[in-house]
Amino acid sequence: MSAILEVEHLVTSFPSAKRGQTIKAVNDVSIHLNQGEIVGLVGESGCGKSTLGRSIVGLEKPQSGRVVFDGVDLGSLSGRRLREARRAVQYVFQDPYASLNDRQTVGEAINEALIIAGLRSQTEREGRIAELLNQVGLATTVRDRFTRELSGGQRQRIAIARSLAVEPRVLICDEPVSALDLSIRAQVMNLFLDLREKLGVSCLFIAHDLALVRQAASRVYVMYLGKVVESGSSEEVYRNPSHPYTQLLLASVPEADPATERRRNPPLITGEIPSPTNPPSGCFFRTRCPLSVEACAEAEPVSQEVSSMHKAACRFAGGLFAKRVSAA
Amino acid sequence: MSSEPILRVKDLTIDLLTAHTVVRPVDGVAYELSRRETLAIVGESGSGKTVTCFAPLGLMPVGVQADISGSILFDSRQLVGSDNETLRSLRGKSIGFIFQDPMSALNPARRVGRQIAEVAELHLGMTARAAETRALELIKMVGMSDPEIRLKQYPHELSGGLRQRVMIAIAIAAEPTLLVADEPTTALDVTVQAQILRLLKEIQSRMDMAMILITHDMGVVAGAADRVMVMYAGRHVETGPTERVLSQPQHPYTMGLIDAIPRKQDAIGSRFRGLPGIPPILGAPITGCAFMARCGYAVDACGERRPPFLPTAVPGVSAACPVLNIRAKECA
Repeated sequence: MSAILEVEHLVTSFPSAKRGQTIKAVNDVSIHLNQGEIVGLVGESGCGKSTLGRSIVGLEKPQSGRVVFDGVDLGSLSGRRLREARRAVQYVFQDPYASLNDRQTVGEAINEALIIAGLRSQTEREGRIAELLNQVGLATTVRDRFTRELSGGQRQRIAIARSLAVEPRVLICDEPVSALDLSIRAQVMNLFLDLREKLGVSCLFIAHDLALVRQAASRVYVMYLGKVVESGSSEEVYRNPSHPYTQLLLASVPEADPATERRRNPPLITGEIPSPTNPPSGCFFRTRCPLSVEACAEAEPVSQEVSSMHKAACRFAGGLFAKRVSAA
Repeated sequence: MSSEPILRVKDLTIDLLTAHTVVRPVDGVAYELSRRETLAIVGESGSGKTVTCFAPLGLMPVGVQADISGSILFDSRQLVGSDNETLRSLRGKSIGFIFQDPMSALNPARRVGRQIAEVAELHLGMTARAAETRALELIKMVGMSDPEIRLKQYPHELSGGLRQRVMIAIAIAAEPTLLVADEPTTALDVTVQAQILRLLKEIQSRMDMAMILITHDMGVVAGAADRVMVMYAGRHVETGPTERVLSQPQHPYTMGLIDAIPRKQDAIGSRFRGLPGIPPILGAPITGCAFMARCGYAVDACGERRPPFLPTAVPGVSAACPVLNIRAKECA
């Protein structure tokens, strides 16, 4: 498999309220996405996962680093050529109530995307609208309904159809089902699986729902305070989480089984994410980490190889000195 | 629970009248709650779980008029039909509230200490000074670090988890007998969620409170609730002790909801299990079973009348599905 999208040493920062200070929302992140792959990007709010997604599609301007699509550095392009290259990477937003215009019909909403995609003939567009609705699992009869008349799940399907209008090769999906009702999340998740299978679309799946990501993604990146702290195949990361943060994160997810819940005594992460304006020295997680030692404050942890595909940025990950966070 | 229920809701029906439409978000709901007990109300958006708890206390969106019928006995006082004055004296005093989004529930322009103290002044008749002391105690009780500094901060200076702790401090300031928490951890991260749920349980046992936990997360239900009530389209479709409802659900909707939760055994890349169709749109009351259109067990009779809510073969569990509960049908 070859990488369709590569992000190298990306840094995106914002000016802080305090003059002269900056917040590094994305702090030297490198990730890649292979052709036809669904990759998860997980972490808590404020960890920079959405900023990373937005930087990839150009909604935020990175300070440094590269976004390489299909072998071409997007930073080397400008004007029309950049816009064309960007079309191949589309964004699916979290809230389908905010991302669609209430006053448009479904047909108008998709038609608009097709005009931007450069499809000139109205008849061709009509045909394509029907095709797109079919691809996202909606009956063509919804075409004349107003988007406001549709349910959340249906609206998210329309938003996805709009993204698909330009025939993208990569979808950056930012919490695409978290605004949807429980009983219909599975329908939309299965749609992403279908799109990959039928159209070969790759997905970067940004989410905080760890169970959802585990099932959908073949690989996963875990972010904390603007950095990737662990990455690997979903299988390995979920079975053998090797960064203390990932271990605590996975242990915090409540399970829908009262017996398990009663027995469970999750190791609690104390405190909350430190301010990214003034991150701790050395390892960013050390202020909340039960394993931290003095040396953690001195230098940034080097990424340790747990196995060939599995890395964690913690001195205690992998190798002879592997340590695990135990229950409180 | 053997003790006398502190809250007894019977046949609660709420019609909301806006300028253009009438909808019935709550349709004949019934439940009971005892002291020290936690009831989780589970349902999707539009299932009526929030309106069930808030409308009877006069909490509603602006521009909406509620037509409430049925009975809500709280501490042997009838809430349905009570005047605003009575309700106002209960809200925040005997009944505390925690809302989903602490940022929109707190006043952004006032220090959090003042906002907590205000409740103590209003409901406990404390002087401003005594109330400030009380606020400090409460801040400590909800586990906030540097309590003296926190008192003087504004909501925007706090993280989501700390704001929710402030909300909890406000809610328990007047030592309520009932705490209604509407999705208290939905806006929070999973690591903070665990802390907040633990805090709520601690406070509950310390203050002998009854708690209603409105949520859509079965994991939260499993960890925090003694009993659960599942709602669909404004009706209660199943109630019972948490461990029984989660392990042996008796209503097809509950079954579907539990089945839809991804499990550790599910293969990576495998398809997600879910329910077919979409939830009904809030509108006129439905004649038959509201879940019929999405149900794999439905028979013609399901569309004729509302399925009776009856005890099932599982002890303590009642459900509104006579098709799956033969015994229930015989009793009927």
